[in-house]
Amino acid sequence: MQWSKIRLIFMRELRDQLRDRRTLFTIAILPLVLYPLLGLSFLQVAQFTREHRSTIQLQGAHDLPSTPRLLDGDSFAAEVCPPPESQLLRVVTQSSKPSASSAEELRQQAQQAIRSGQCDAVVYFPPDFAERLAAARAAIGAEPSSGDVETVTPPPIPEPRVFASTANDKSRIAADRVDRVLRRWRELMVQQNLRQRNIPLAATEPFHLVDTDVAEEVSRRALIWSKILPFVVLIWALTGAFYPAIDLCAGEKERGTLETLLSSPAQRGEIVWGKLLTVMTFSTATALLNLASMGLTGTFIISRLSSLGSAIRIGPPPLGAMFWLAVALIPISALFSALSLAIAAFARSSKEGQYYLMPLLMITLPLMMIPLLPSVELDWGSSLIPVSGMMLLLRAVIEGQFGDAIMHLPAVVIVTLGGCWLSIRWAIDQFNNEGVIFREGERWSLGAWLRHLWRFRDRTPSFGMAILCGVLLLLVRFFASFLIGTPVSWSTFAVVLLATQLALIALPPLLMTGILTTSWRQTLLLNWPGVPSLFSAVLLAFAFHPAALVLHELVQWLYPLSPDVRAAAGTINALAAEAHWLPRLLVLALTPAICEELAFRGFILSGLRHMGHKWGAIVVSSLFFGAVHGMLQQSLSACAVGIVIGYIAVQTGSLLPCILFHITHNSLVLTVGIHGPQLVDQFPQLRWIFQVEQDQFRYQPYVTIAGLVLAVGFLAWFRLLPFRATEEERLRSLLEHQSLRPVAK
Amino acid sequence: MIQVQQLTKSYADLKRGQVLAVAGVSFQAAAGQIFGLLGPNGAGKTTVLRILSTILRPTSGTATINGYDLRTQPALIRHQIGFVSTNTAVYDRMTAWEMVEYFGRLYGLADEELGERMERIFSRLQMNDFRDQVGAKMSTGMKQKVSIARAIVHDPPLLIFDEATVGLDVLVARALLKTVMELREQGKCIVFSTHIMREAERLCDRIAIMYRGHILSEGSLPELLDRHHETDLEELFFRLLTDHDAAPAWADNAG
Repeated sequence: MQWSKIRLIFMRELRDQLRDRRTLFTIAILPLVLYPLLGLSFLQVAQFTREHRSTIQLQGAHDLPSTPRLLDGDSFAAEVCPPPESQLLRVVTQSSKPSASSAEELRQQAQQAIRSGQCDAVVYFPPDFAERLAAARAAIGAEPSSGDVETVTPPPIPEPRVFASTANDKSRIAADRVDRVLRRWRELMVQQNLRQRNIPLAATEPFHLVDTDVAEEVSRRALIWSKILPFVVLIWALTGAFYPAIDLCAGEKERGTLETLLSSPAQRGEIVWGKLLTVMTFSTATALLNLASMGLTGTFIISRLSSLGSAIRIGPPPLGAMFWLAVALIPISALFSALSLAIAAFARSSKEGQYYLMPLLMITLPLMMIPLLPSVELDWGSSLIPVSGMMLLLRAVIEGQFGDAIMHLPAVVIVTLGGCWLSIRWAIDQFNNEGVIFREGERWSLGAWLRHLWRFRDRTPSFGMAILCGVLLLLVRFFASFLIGTPVSWSTFAVVLLATQLALIALPPLLMTGILTTSWRQTLLLNWPGVPSLFSAVLLAFAFHPAALVLHELVQWLYPLSPDVRAAAGTINALAAEAHWLPRLLVLALTPAICEELAFRGFILSGLRHMGHKWGAIVVSSLFFGAVHGMLQQSLSACAVGIVIGYIAVQTGSLLPCILFHITHNSLVLTVGIHGPQLVDQFPQLRWIFQVEQDQFRYQPYVTIAGLVLAVGFLAWFRLLPFRATEEERLRSLLEHQSLRPVAK
Repeated sequence: MIQVQQLTKSYADLKRGQVLAVAGVSFQAAAGQIFGLLGPNGAGKTTVLRILSTILRPTSGTATINGYDLRTQPALIRHQIGFVSTNTAVYDRMTAWEMVEYFGRLYGLADEELGERMERIFSRLQMNDFRDQVGAKMSTGMKQKVSIARAIVHDPPLLIFDEATVGLDVLVARALLKTVMELREQGKCIVFSTHIMREAERLCDRIAIMYRGHILSEGSLPELLDRHHETDLEELFFRLLTDHDAAPAWADNAG
């Protein structure tokens, strides 16, 4: 790959996109206009709330008590409604007695008045309000010294009502305002009552509550912004990547220029990188412009609001937060760009491309939403989730928890870069796949497809079939886990395990091999590998075991088992320990080894190898192998073991060494795990090999290191074997190492 | 110059099963020659030319172009060829000059050499009137000229024209054929596909009649007429096609 060509393609695509008005609009104009517009309308609403004059209709005003005064002529009295407020309230009194008799009628009348715009809210005082109130006040005031205050039941005080419509902004504001006035009025009344009974005012509030916020102003601001900003920026990074990606792939297919480019000397990898950089530029630029526009508008609006005396107490976004966000944006937009590009390569037209945005959002949105949950924090587990980990890291940095951030930085960086690499690889593969680039619309029907599958079976399964088999095994396993309860005895446990292994792990791939392929031997690697390979596989399992144990411990340290899971595992271990060693090995080592190898290194790996990367196939098959183990902690260890076995399968071209490795590995786990401490007690000389500390049982460090060295040696030996590359792998390696010399004259 | 050996291309189709678009095609052409692939629509001409231009990979068989192997050295092959097809459009938002310059740079030409060559090509193809016009505003004829300029900017020894005259008016088509003949005089090897008899007769030194993925007959025009005892290419063409259709179905797969 040549950087000069990538740059050339990048510059062209960039210029091309900049000449497109639609792109420019979405990328630049929209964010620059959107936030100020939103901000302005927000301010307008705030302004309106503050300045609009509310009209209050007062019904039954003639029946108000004389002290304390509620009304002063045609407006509220100054005691209950001081000047700036009083200007915003206009009172229309209706001195005639209200005609309505029932509450429902009153409600309807008020609704009518508010709807027709006569007033914004209606305050209704029931007939004889003043008289009955006075009677009630007198009743309370009459017995000041009876001692038992609680027994005094005041006569029912008539209830004034405020009618307002929450579906109407003006009406809601009016109700708020009149509510404040009425509360003040009531307060005055309480004070009068107290005075009448010679009780000091302080009696109503024996003590004050003082709230003190220990957070500094900056971190208060950070908390709010650390949740909003990353989300907004990521959403825009995705949108900003998606549309240019569609134009650069599906759009080019539509305009017929993709073939022009493909026949040029630029390699597919160079084309993808050039396009990727363009998409990334737009993704970053969109996100940054949105960030800047939102930041500036936010700062402006908030300063205006606080000058207006609003109750909103968030400051402008902290500058540091903006900076870190911009830094984190680069890898995230690389990831989104590569994903968008790979998806866009699949689309035949821009229109079809647009349909793919929704699935992409469905996958990425949850990853962006997880960090918004209050209980989710940056820890070892969450830092390994793509996108979420990065957002949580950002939050930690914005909140100033630098210690936490630095500790989890490597994990987040590795996951993010890994994600980028995989998605870029996928995009390049899409461009190399003529089935994708020259995809033609054909009418699909299930019957035709099934017939086609049967008639044109290959010796080994296709890539898609392998993925299908993996997904099928996962689904079956998922649903079966609901049916299988906790075992109570060894015999039931053994039966359930055998049945699961045979029926749910081994049977589906065997059936699929029979139905979808023509060669059992080639699909399930039923070849004789030679004795040295078999020996090496067994010895490799021994050499590898100490390292596997360390890995297992490491995983448990990263993701501690929950007490429930620990208890369940304890039960199973106890059941296994009860059994005789032979059935135990048969059920827990031999059967899984055969069944799982048939599925994962047999059918799935054979199919995956059509992708043309030996290592890609090994890793993906191991991911399935790990995932089928159900529990995260087990899955991670299984995945690592799966990679080693996958390599053996590819190098030897046979399933036998894999099964032997698997049996040996499982047997070691069982024997050492269950009887290790006992054995060391019986034979103290074993302390040279094992370390026993309280409940920790592991190999001596030098044994582990020696084992690793040996394991690497064995792997190197496997590497020397003449492995049988698939057609796709041979072609890819030829293409990647094109000789410069003519092959013929 | 170019040797094509037993090239096949098959793809999976749900309705028709495995479809053999190209069924073992072999031919060769030398420098200074125009090799014509004459066939009706759907004969597999475009697929053959797409394979030769390395856009598609052959299912089996191969070709060598100037000594480079098509299957294993596609990157080098692309330097040896210029490809003009109805499917290779020009960029809408790029001017004629920018477009040719861009491809010249992709071929790794140095600035000075590229500038000189472009001036020569632009004046020879009479493109100076619209050198600053963007693709979206060009007429079909202008676009075709830009495509040719783009294909010859790196001076490749082999040029591939796939139905290059489709959609052109008589004047533009005539000019294009003239350009192709000039390129032959410069010693280029040209593979030219068409379904128009007149073009094949006027232009091609050798003609291969292609139908349903097979080459039915191949040779210079007099050779072909002589071999099949015909006096007219069109008659010959129809007879070969009808004979092929009448032949038993297994002949299709026998290649």
